[in-house]
Amino acid sequence: MLIYIIRRVLIFIPMLLVISFLVYGALELTPGDAVSALINPEVSGRLTEAQFNELRESYGLNKPFLVRYGIWVANVLQGNFGHSLAGGVPISTIFLDRLPATLELSVVALLFSTIVGCILGTFSALKRGSIADNSLTVVGMLGVSIPEFFFGLVALLIFALNLGWLPVGGRLLPGYDSIFDRVPHIIMPAMVLSLMMTAGVMRYARSSMLDALSKEFIKTARSKGLPEWRINLMHGFRVALTPVVVLIGFRLPLLIGGSVIIEQVFQWPGIGNAFIAAVRGSDYPLVMMIALFSVFSVLLASLVIDVLTALIDPRVRLN
Amino acid sequence: MVSRSLNKKFDKILALEEAGSLKSKTGSRSLRKMMNNRLAVVGLILFSIIVFTAVFAPLITSADPMKINLRNMSQPPSWEHWFGTDKTGRDVLARVLYGGRVSILVGLGSGIISAIIGVLIGAYTGYKGGWLDVIALRVSELFMSFPQIILVLLLVSIIGQSLINLMIIFVLTGWGGMYRMARARMLSLREEEYVQALQSFGLSTPVICYKHILPNALGPIMVNITLTTAAFILAEAGLSFLGLGVPAHIPTWGNILNVAQEIRVLQNFWWMWLPVGAIISLFVLSVNFIGDGLRDATDPSQQG
Repeated sequence: MLIYIIRRVLIFIPMLLVISFLVYGALELTPGDAVSALINPEVSGRLTEAQFNELRESYGLNKPFLVRYGIWVANVLQGNFGHSLAGGVPISTIFLDRLPATLELSVVALLFSTIVGCILGTFSALKRGSIADNSLTVVGMLGVSIPEFFFGLVALLIFALNLGWLPVGGRLLPGYDSIFDRVPHIIMPAMVLSLMMTAGVMRYARSSMLDALSKEFIKTARSKGLPEWRINLMHGFRVALTPVVVLIGFRLPLLIGGSVIIEQVFQWPGIGNAFIAAVRGSDYPLVMMIALFSVFSVLLASLVIDVLTALIDPRVRLN
Repeated sequence: MVSRSLNKKFDKILALEEAGSLKSKTGSRSLRKMMNNRLAVVGLILFSIIVFTAVFAPLITSADPMKINLRNMSQPPSWEHWFGTDKTGRDVLARVLYGGRVSILVGLGSGIISAIIGVLIGAYTGYKGGWLDVIALRVSELFMSFPQIILVLLLVSIIGQSLINLMIIFVLTGWGGMYRMARARMLSLREEEYVQALQSFGLSTPVICYKHILPNALGPIMVNITLTTAAFILAEAGLSFLGLGVPAHIPTWGNILNVAQEIRVLQNFWWMWLPVGAIISLFVLSVNFIGDGLRDATDPSQQG
């Protein structure tokens, strides 16, 4: 087991290094020069070429590419992520600021979609072929077909603008910090974000439940004379869905990608919102760090999932 | 009783085939199964209608999607402008129809191109194995370590915004899934006996792999194309909605929706964004229905 984990970690680290190298290199090719981006244009007009070179040297920009990459990696490992070009805020501050909001949104959406998706999927599998099952299938299909942001816009129009039940956007008004102030803000973005996932979880739960119900131990349970609900719940549901639930929990990082557009629609002050702003403003250091952070969390999550799967299922380890 | 009724239909087709009454007709069994799947047919009809209206846009409306008419700003739907006009007086219906051309081109085009690239690489390296296979696998893993939208936005910020760039970006982010699927199919198919027979005849590797093995993987490939196309249509809409996709002067479904970022438009001018959002949803839905029908028709393991 230990060997498996070590081997898995040994894949994880070079992968991260290669990706960071590629992203760093690609951003190197973007138009514009770091020094001229940093200096007030009024001042830079008066600077001589020698002064520019001096500045470049002081920032270490005239060093060869590989050396700069090395320095950058060393900095990142020490927790120094660099500065955003917009306002010169340290990127680590932006992360600390924005990440909790994104996590809050993602966790709520994830919990909701997992619970609702599992219940609907199980129901659908138990009532296989009924009208309810068929309509759930079609609804699930709709769920993955409607663009999330469009769904968000419609929800905004109905619940915020026409009915006025929920706030239009944002996470909190300044000065209000109780749980009752938070809940109304998060309802819409979380529901909209979980729409597509709920549909996905539902389909997955349905098929794995159907799979479990066709197994021999279900027949055994039935022949023991157990009531049907017990068979479904204790035997079918547990076997089919325990791994699903555990694994879905660790897919959280993928939601950083999922919530980018939703955060924009609802003006949610999360990391996705910062990412869009950085892309719009060509704030390359910030774009790079957020992208790399998302890769890091995805790779880490898949590492955890692999190790967990190996713990549950010994067959995996042997390959 | 979806699956059972599907089976019943399939039994009927089988019985007809055995009786010889279907022999004269052309078309495969999968096609017939597909045509018996009601949702797939609905999807196919919807898909065709939307594609046809986009392609033959000039026959449906005489309005120019780019023509600004400041005397006619923000008009609600009327007999003259079925979907009303936008904030600069352009006919929304015309923009939706002409925008459909670009959106469908981006979605379907990048879906098909990434399928071709993914399958060409996946089939060959999967069949051949060796260091080429290892490299291709690692490269695809690199691309798949990113959440898709993050990678797309990162590439947008590196290579900039244009129609062609967007398609390149979609292909870059989309080929991986297809590659893995094609490779996995290849790994199992290459062990078949007929492949050994072909090898012993001395046929060259590309001929065996593309001409003789690949057709056996066509079903899942088609299903995969529908999935990626749906994803790309959604991605284009999302990106253009943010103003980071297709440049704003080209009408696309996403660019039309862009105005809905403004609360005033959202609240007062529903015709500027609601119909186009509904059409995107219907189009993606139809593509998903087709994909599901294809899966049921071509994948024997799904017949429950």
